[in-house]
Amino acid sequence: MAAAAPEPQGKYDLGFARQVYGNIDGGDKLAMCMQCGVCSGSCPIGETMDYGPRKLFMMVRAGMKEAVLKSNTIWNCVSCYNCVVRCPRQVPVTYILHDLAAMAVREGYVEARKSDNARFAKAFWWSTRKYGRSDERLITAKYYFSGGLIDGTRKGMANMKIAMAMIKAKRMHLGAPHKIKKRGELKEILAKAKEIQERQPATPEDVK
Amino acid sequence: MSKKYTYYPGCSSEGSAAHLDKSLRAIASKLGIELEDIADWNCCGASVGHIESGHLTTAALSARNLAQAREQGEQDVMTPCAACYLNTHATNENIRDKGTFKDELNEALAVAGKSYDGSLHVRHACEVLINDIGLDKIREQVTNPLQGLKVAGYVGCQTVRPFANTERGGEYDTYDDPDFLDGFIESTGAEAAEFDNKTSCCGGSSSVMSPDKTLHLIKKILNEAKEKEADVIATPCPLCQQNIEMYQGRINAEQGTDFNIPVVFYSQLMALAFGMDADKDAGLNQNIVKADKLTAKAGK
Repeated sequence: MAAAAPEPQGKYDLGFARQVYGNIDGGDKLAMCMQCGVCSGSCPIGETMDYGPRKLFMMVRAGMKEAVLKSNTIWNCVSCYNCVVRCPRQVPVTYILHDLAAMAVREGYVEARKSDNARFAKAFWWSTRKYGRSDERLITAKYYFSGGLIDGTRKGMANMKIAMAMIKAKRMHLGAPHKIKKRGELKEILAKAKEIQERQPATPEDVK
Repeated sequence: MSKKYTYYPGCSSEGSAAHLDKSLRAIASKLGIELEDIADWNCCGASVGHIESGHLTTAALSARNLAQAREQGEQDVMTPCAACYLNTHATNENIRDKGTFKDELNEALAVAGKSYDGSLHVRHACEVLINDIGLDKIREQVTNPLQGLKVAGYVGCQTVRPFANTERGGEYDTYDDPDFLDGFIESTGAEAAEFDNKTSCCGGSSSVMSPDKTLHLIKKILNEAKEKEADVIATPCPLCQQNIEMYQGRINAEQGTDFNIPVVFYSQLMALAFGMDADKDAGLNQNIVKADKLTAKAGK
């Protein structure tokens, strides 16, 4: 992995580490990190990341909020959980990366059209919240075209053969979306959960 | 005597992994497993939902399913999907162990007159097959042994990580060198290939959204299966099955390879070995890369 140093002229926010320890799922365990690098070494996709998890965590501690939340590290995680099970200090690396990505969305660090994952997550959540089910076909279509008509058409064409094969194998359907019956109930539960989530920052002992 | 479980099929059961759901329900009836679906179950959020919704809101998805499951009884909840297992199990554990988390989710559930106390156990179908049923009972059901078939057992990630080998994950195997899948394969009479990439990552949902970043991960797995002269790859994971199968054509076109390796679920192998119908029970007609050698075994 490229050992480029993070931009030294970036802004420093000395409250950032505290924010991560207190508000990020698993963030309280980040203080345990001893910078051994097992996480970065275990990552199947580490070479595509701006910084591996080890370096990213040091940047959190250093208060490099902007560099952390703009890095592709938090987006490129493939959720394999190798780092989680191997970390000698039980730092839940995957959970922290995921929730840093959620923070980056929430605080406007992501240019929506630039991050595949942010656009995919938006399409996924749209289907889940609206129908109660993740309808793979609708999510894929919505995601493809979230980058604009040209990008959507290009992605659609590139995967047309796969889509046709999936339809033929009855693993993708053409009718109405899959949905649950009590969609109103689910929406109410989710709205309330969101309200609670935004109401108070979690205290360190409440998070994983 | 059959044992009852509350079953959470997950969204892929209605789409990309319909053949997992079909074959699992088929073998369950042979193995004395009674499955009752969670009524009106919803999506678990998989590994991306929380990025848009936040951690607690995504957990509320699992909380609703668990509250409903509890209303249906005290029996264990079982799911065949790696992501469903990961999310539902984690939320269940957090509700049980973390007071504030439990209170917050119950406050959300209360708007629908629901509640949940964390008292259920959430289990992966593979762990149930190993710990409650056992390989011996699986072997007993085999009437059509898959002799002469070499299978690369590809476990993937979330079926075993991070919960395998923990007390709460059923202690059914290890997270880096699990052998439950080879056990399944051999119980059907097939040969399990030595497979170094058994817990390598296929890219998960990244392979769905940005395959350019992850095709090399899939290729590595296919390469080894080919080197080991495996007739098929077998996996427990819906997303692994889809990724490893559907991108073979694209990798071939872009990189000049000639992969054409069927990727099936362990439950499809079992259904065949149990002498069940290749299409109606095992769902082999739903595989994109046709498993001709398997279909031949079923005499179809």
